[in-house]
Amino acid sequence: MGATIRFLTKRTVQFAFGAAIAILLIVAGFAYRSIVISGENGRWVRHTYEVLENLQELRFALEAVSSSVRGYILTGEEAYLEPYHAAGLSLEQHATTVRELTTDNPVQQRNILVLEDVAVAKLERADEDINLRRTQGIEAASEAIRAGPGLHATVEYAAIVSQMQDEERRLLVLRIADAERSTNRLKITLILGTFLGLLITVAAGWSVQRDNSRRETAEEALREGERKYRMLVDGVKEYAILMLGPQGEIRSWNPGAERMTGCAWEEVAGQNFSRFFSADDVSLGRPQEILRKAAESGEYEEQGTRVRKDGTRYQIRTTFTASRDPAGNLRGFSVISRDLTENKESETKYRGLLEAAPDAMVVVNQSGEIVLLNVQAEKQFGYRRDELLGQKVTNIIPIGFAERLIADDLRSTEDASAQQIGTGIELIAERKDGSEFPIEIMLSPLQSAEGTLVTAAIRDISVRKKAAVVLLQKVDELKRSNEELGQFAYIASHDLQEPLRMVASYTQLLSRRYKGKLDADADEFIAFAVDGASRMQRLIQDLLAYSRVGTKGKELLETSSEDALQQALANLRGAIEESSAVVTHDPLPPVLADEMQLTQLFQNLVGNAIKYQNPGVPRVHVSAARNGGKQWDFTVKDNGLGIDPQYFERIFGMFQRLHKRDEFAGTGIGLAICKKIVERHGGHIWVESKPGQGSTFRFALAGSQARS
Amino acid sequence: MTKEVLLVEDSPGDVRLTREALRGVDASVHLHVAIDGVEAMAFLNREGAYANAPRPDFILLDLNLPKMDGREVLARIKTDEKLRMIPTVILTTSDAETDVSNSYRLQANCYVTKPVQLEEFEALMKNITDFWLRKVKLPQQARH
Amino acid sequence: MPLEVLLVEDSPGDVRLTQEAFRDAKTSINLHVATDGVAAMAFLRREGDHSQAPRPDFILLDLNLPKMDGREVLAHIKEDDELKTIPTIILTTSEAEADILKSYQLQANCYINKPVQLEAFDAIVKSVNSFWLTTAKLPPRANSG
Repeated sequence: MGATIRFLTKRTVQFAFGAAIAILLIVAGFAYRSIVISGENGRWVRHTYEVLENLQELRFALEAVSSSVRGYILTGEEAYLEPYHAAGLSLEQHATTVRELTTDNPVQQRNILVLEDVAVAKLERADEDINLRRTQGIEAASEAIRAGPGLHATVEYAAIVSQMQDEERRLLVLRIADAERSTNRLKITLILGTFLGLLITVAAGWSVQRDNSRRETAEEALREGERKYRMLVDGVKEYAILMLGPQGEIRSWNPGAERMTGCAWEEVAGQNFSRFFSADDVSLGRPQEILRKAAESGEYEEQGTRVRKDGTRYQIRTTFTASRDPAGNLRGFSVISRDLTENKESETKYRGLLEAAPDAMVVVNQSGEIVLLNVQAEKQFGYRRDELLGQKVTNIIPIGFAERLIADDLRSTEDASAQQIGTGIELIAERKDGSEFPIEIMLSPLQSAEGTLVTAAIRDISVRKKAAVVLLQKVDELKRSNEELGQFAYIASHDLQEPLRMVASYTQLLSRRYKGKLDADADEFIAFAVDGASRMQRLIQDLLAYSRVGTKGKELLETSSEDALQQALANLRGAIEESSAVVTHDPLPPVLADEMQLTQLFQNLVGNAIKYQNPGVPRVHVSAARNGGKQWDFTVKDNGLGIDPQYFERIFGMFQRLHKRDEFAGTGIGLAICKKIVERHGGHIWVESKPGQGSTFRFALAGSQARS
Repeated sequence: MTKEVLLVEDSPGDVRLTREALRGVDASVHLHVAIDGVEAMAFLNREGAYANAPRPDFILLDLNLPKMDGREVLARIKTDEKLRMIPTVILTTSDAETDVSNSYRLQANCYVTKPVQLEEFEALMKNITDFWLRKVKLPQQARH
Repeated sequence: MPLEVLLVEDSPGDVRLTQEAFRDAKTSINLHVATDGVAAMAFLRREGDHSQAPRPDFILLDLNLPKMDGREVLAHIKEDDELKTIPTIILTTSEAEADILKSYQLQANCYINKPVQLEAFDAIVKSVNSFWLTTAKLPPRANSG
């Protein structure tokens, strides 16, 4: 497509220039013609003016003749004869001139002849008259003039001259008009032509300009490309890259080639590449054969021996690619070679590493056969080395390995093994004795002279798997145990409720119906029974509440701790009002929590703060502060009784109380529940206090992710 | 008019308590008692010893019963054309959410948890009786 | 957490009275009103405008309603697996035995007769409130409420 455009553009430019030139020529032609015509017209105009002038002279001349004759006749003075002769001459001359000037105009020619005749006649008559005067005196001459045709002739003459003048004037008008038209045409043609010419020139010029800049860009890009190519080729040190001519002449090469051959560029430039071959190869004609094959099939790969500058031999693998010009002629060859000797060195190193590896290492070729293994592999699989070498890897790893090696239509081996890099794959392996064991393999591909090989590091993971199973079992057991415990607590308290209810209810009924009706002892006994029963009921309810923290706990979600506190305060409304407590709080953050349990937590802590008070107004303040990372430290501070430090741990125990029953109600489970709730949330709870100086309960909770 | 109430309750203590509470509220109530699910069904279906039993206007049903438990009794009542229109209130110690929702799903008319304290229990019975036997319109039952 | 109550009632006067009666309740209540059976079903099924409607904790249902009457609504509610657990209390002027029986057969949870007198009306609504909100246990809310 680009070529077509270029072609069209070239043609267009040529065409444009051609057109411009043509137009200019045309314009010039027009101009020339116009000028010529103009010149002619000008000449004609001048010509006409000349004729008119002459005709006028004729008139004057005739007048002069008449008047000079009259003068002579009147005076008889010879002086008048001079002008007469002059006028007569003038008549003749001018008539001739007019005749010559109007040769193209037959009308005028006839007129002039007539004129001349008349003039001649007139002059003859005049001569006669003059003679008469001279000889016979004035009267005779006057008589002759009066009777003669003189006047008539003059009038006739004047009329003809007039006619001629009119004719000339008519021609003059025509010619002037012509001249004008011609001038106008010229003007227009000049303007248009010039304009068109300019336009085309500008267009062509712009097109050329654009082409130029495009060409410049292309050239720049080409130069850039060449630069990059050069850099690339020079940069490749591992490979020798050469450009050869059709006969094998070395045209260029890269630093890699220098390194490989040990020669400098100056030593090899222009020489044939066969100089690197061994003498034997050269005598067998190998270099030429290689070039021929490459030229035939376009590309040829060979592995062979070369000789360095210092005489040492080395193996290389080379690819020859034939390069042709658009017409298909062989331009030369591009050659890429790799020194295989280095590979062999690293190969030895590699074998060493493999052998020493702590895991079983197995190297497999593309057909799935084991080409290399180490002593660990022997031990793990229970085979001798020679029993495995050359065998299909499926003998030891039946499923999962060989399939991954296969280069199929969808991907090359490189891609296939690339997919497996770094990922451990769990498979089942089979020992020589047929027993199976779980393994984890890690693959890595390896390029070698024999093609792509895949190295597998094989680890026996039977121990790991067992451990995993054991772990899962233990976790299951733990879960079950927890569940059972939860269930037990629940069932225990639940089933205990019913008989307890009976005891409590009926002792109360007894008390109601028979108080004061039996003796005082009976009253006291019943009172103890009632009391005991109701305490037991409360204990069981608390136990149930405690067990529910675990069994009825919900997922930890983003919760507004402020909302939870508000709910707790709502639940404590009665207690707050009764004690006129003042509960304040700072803004509280969102946390990860079970909302109901968080409410319970606040309720217990604030409830305690209100309950364990001196007389006076209980003040409670709830606040929260970040503690380093993502946690929040909550504080519930009160101005209550305070706690003796020796009890700081105990109060969080189950059913632990620090006060007598008649001092403060409660079973002592509140803080145990708080502790369980906080620990379920992954935090911990503690107290700071001094007796008589109030207490500060603190607990830490994880903040929620949403806001930091 | 006398109201016939069937109480299905296995704890004699609770039965007595209920009777006491009812008496205090509405002496015209006839309280019938079945101590397990089987007896309850026999009463409702007028089988055997219960051939002449009246159809109750109202049933108080505990969930945890021996032999046939209350959940099954509920299911049977509410799938029986002749019995399903009898308002059946579950009165039980369980406050488990599953029990509550299952009972409503089986179309129990109402679910009430038995309180632990005597006084509260008495208040509850008063409320139940007041509401269901005085305020609510019960369907007329064909007596025999 | 406020309770969601659906009142299906076409008489605006009764709606107002019910609202007043609920105002004194201890628990906070969101009272939703549907004035005919079709609107009631749309609310319960969360259709159209009611796609964000909450699931009611209980339903007060009048029997005589325009478009779709209360008996049909009751039948629909008790046939729907998701709706049938919601306590549905019939609150209607009808004292007809047939209506009472039919309602219970359709599994209405209870049937209350709307008194004519204002004070009595107020009292009965309050007692319904009191019993169902404080004495009885309402079915737990499903998670996707």
